[in-house]
Amino acid sequence: MLVTWRYRPRKSLVQWFDPRAWVIFYLCFLFSTLAFWDIRFLLPFLAIALLWLFTSGLTWNEVRRPFLFIGAFVFFFAFLTFLTGRGGMEVYETEHLIRRLQAPFTILGWRPTLEITVERAFFAISQFVRVFSIAVMTILIPYSLNPALYGVTFKGLGLPDKIAYAMDLTMRFIPTFARDFQLTMDAQRARGYELEKISGGLVEQVRKLGPLIVPVTIHAIIGSEDIIDAMDLRAFGIGPRTWLQELHYQPRDYVLIALGLLLLVCSITLGLSGLGNFWVPQALIRWATGG
Amino acid sequence: MSEKPLVLEHVSFRYRSRQGAAIHDISFSAEPGELLLLAGASGCGKTTLIRAINGLIPRSYKGELTGKIRVQGQETTSMPLARISQMVGTVLQDPERQILGTKVINEVAFGLENMGLPRAEILRRAEAALEYLNISHLRDRETFNLSGGEKQKVALAGVLAMKPSVLLLDEPLASLDPASAQEALAMIRRLADEGLTILMVEHRVEDVLQIHPSRVMYMSEGEIRYLGDAAGLAEAVDFREVKLPARQVALRAAQETTPERVTFLPKTQRAASAPLVRFENVSFGYETGHEVLHGISLDIHPGDVIAVLGPNGAGKTTFVKHAIGLLKPKSGRVLVNGQDTRQASVAEIAATLGYVFQSPSHMLFAPTVREELAFGPRNLKHSAEQIEQGIKRALEIVNLRERENDPPLSLSFGQQKRISIAAILAMRSKILVMDEPTAGQDYRNYMNFMDAILQMPGFEAILFITHDVDLAVIYANRVILVADGTVRADGPPQQVLKDYNVLRACRVVPTSLLDLNLQLLPKTGQFLRAEALAKVL
Repeated sequence: MLVTWRYRPRKSLVQWFDPRAWVIFYLCFLFSTLAFWDIRFLLPFLAIALLWLFTSGLTWNEVRRPFLFIGAFVFFFAFLTFLTGRGGMEVYETEHLIRRLQAPFTILGWRPTLEITVERAFFAISQFVRVFSIAVMTILIPYSLNPALYGVTFKGLGLPDKIAYAMDLTMRFIPTFARDFQLTMDAQRARGYELEKISGGLVEQVRKLGPLIVPVTIHAIIGSEDIIDAMDLRAFGIGPRTWLQELHYQPRDYVLIALGLLLLVCSITLGLSGLGNFWVPQALIRWATGG
Repeated sequence: MSEKPLVLEHVSFRYRSRQGAAIHDISFSAEPGELLLLAGASGCGKTTLIRAINGLIPRSYKGELTGKIRVQGQETTSMPLARISQMVGTVLQDPERQILGTKVINEVAFGLENMGLPRAEILRRAEAALEYLNISHLRDRETFNLSGGEKQKVALAGVLAMKPSVLLLDEPLASLDPASAQEALAMIRRLADEGLTILMVEHRVEDVLQIHPSRVMYMSEGEIRYLGDAAGLAEAVDFREVKLPARQVALRAAQETTPERVTFLPKTQRAASAPLVRFENVSFGYETGHEVLHGISLDIHPGDVIAVLGPNGAGKTTFVKHAIGLLKPKSGRVLVNGQDTRQASVAEIAATLGYVFQSPSHMLFAPTVREELAFGPRNLKHSAEQIEQGIKRALEIVNLRERENDPPLSLSFGQQKRISIAAILAMRSKILVMDEPTAGQDYRNYMNFMDAILQMPGFEAILFITHDVDLAVIYANRVILVADGTVRADGPPQQVLKDYNVLRACRVVPTSLLDLNLQLLPKTGQFLRAEALAKVL
């Protein structure tokens, strides 16, 4: 059976709007953010995301897990970019060295070296701000969209009935998958299985994950077949369907959509005019070069 | 001319992937308002027959279908499934596999939305269905938070709202506590009385006979062996295969030339030694809400065979998950072999306490049954010889020796369930804990493996959660009644199960076997199975 995210109705800014309006704004925000690498342009996006978050009525306890997980994930990749210097190669050509750290040992003649440059450091910070802003907005979706309205929201965004219902099911599949994973984990732990004690090479480690991966996957497949049968047994797809729930735009929803579209148009225009590309403060470069 | 709601003529079906027909030459018809009970052991073709009538066969389950099926005079074999579903409503065994909507009202309206009815009409019909089943108060609840009985009713409301002329019920009582099952049966009777044609597959024949089905069909090996009134059923069927009222079983067993004398004695005797498991004032609540367990204190001693009874959502599973350390108490403590579960890993506890989960599909993963069974013992670092012996013994108990090299996932649900039990038996834990061990099993199979498990040497205590009161009557030497997260009664079955008021408060309904046992208790001095009661009747 499909379970839903931990949504609950609240008096908050995000839930004040029609879900369609919010999804449209979210998509505009997402594509606008992707237009920039300049931290001066990205910071306002982070501010917008934080505004939505802090007015959402969510408590830290509720969102602690996703924030810690996704926050750590984003930080890890930004840090990896900083360490390796890869990823930013496409947006800057020259680098200004601040410090070179060399390991006191060599591995097969290669000495690990970390070059801290102005560009690498700023690229990592920009990348973090960019992805974290999107993450904040994305985390808000399951907590603020009423699961009972998923289908009609997607239908209202112009998707055909079948696709809209498929999207509805997909949204609910993720928490269902998490629940099944937990159940399988419990069942295998009761058989003496300890995930934390898995050892061996990469292939061996993946093989030892079989007791978790196989039941969860099989369960997902069987679950999908059940869903298809249950839908067929209740006349799904016979013709155009009526959606019980109705959504009505209010003036405030048009304002939000207009703001979203304005944001997108401005971002694309700025991007096309060459603004918003990767930027580092000149003062920092001067300091790094001792100028 | 008014057509019969349901007519089958020489219907046979063979699954594409299997040899031999799953059902063979089935012919019968049903009248408006007829309640037809369909009984038989696992694999007799009941579910295949239901799928053929509701159209899933041959559309979702491919194979060769021959013969004719007519619903309200219209032949359905060439109809699209969505059209058949407007005439034939189906409620599956597990409502969890059927419910799609996030809220009750969405779930009930789902079929009507698909039919493209006007919104006002959908609302009117959905609300009428809820009202008819007395569940209007659930209208805006989230479906996944409902109890088993509520889910069953909501699934039924979703089907009834579409106004089918034939209703197919596939083991509707399987996941319900006894009181919810009684309510469901009363509702089914009412639907038939109001003109709906109902075909109901059910193992719990004894329960269904209480609502007087118009006719009973008994199937075996894909064929109809008996079709007639309920009175003739007892003579036509094997009482070891279908659960009949206790008195009928006892009388039948007495007529047998060599009455089956099952002598069950647990190898372990209850002793006044140190408890294996101790609950000390244990309370627990999930992150999201209210407290589920309140101040539970009890000991499990060597020799205990405990049946835990109680309504859906009473906290039974939460209770046993504490014993294996999957859940840690919010207050109080749980000791297993004297060790606090907070200080031990689940794997460490698993060496002492083996826990069989309710759903086998959450644990089966290995390419062969043998490897599946070796997984637990290997994790517990058993020797190769011990593993070998454990596997052999476990497979014998669950009667699946010949399946040793088959992939567990290719087996039927009932067989998978038995493999999941064998997987824990092979671990040779001191205490065996089973959550609904008989769910999805046919009567003969579950009685056989319960017999075998209780006579298996090595266990010091056994605990099982069940909705089947008769399992407690036959096998337990201690019954714990749980309701609303507290222990309402705890003691020998003869003492706990005689208080019908407490039973009712815990939504446990006395069965004919319990009635008969209580009646004969002065003569027998202990609870016995129906066959054993034959001698004192």
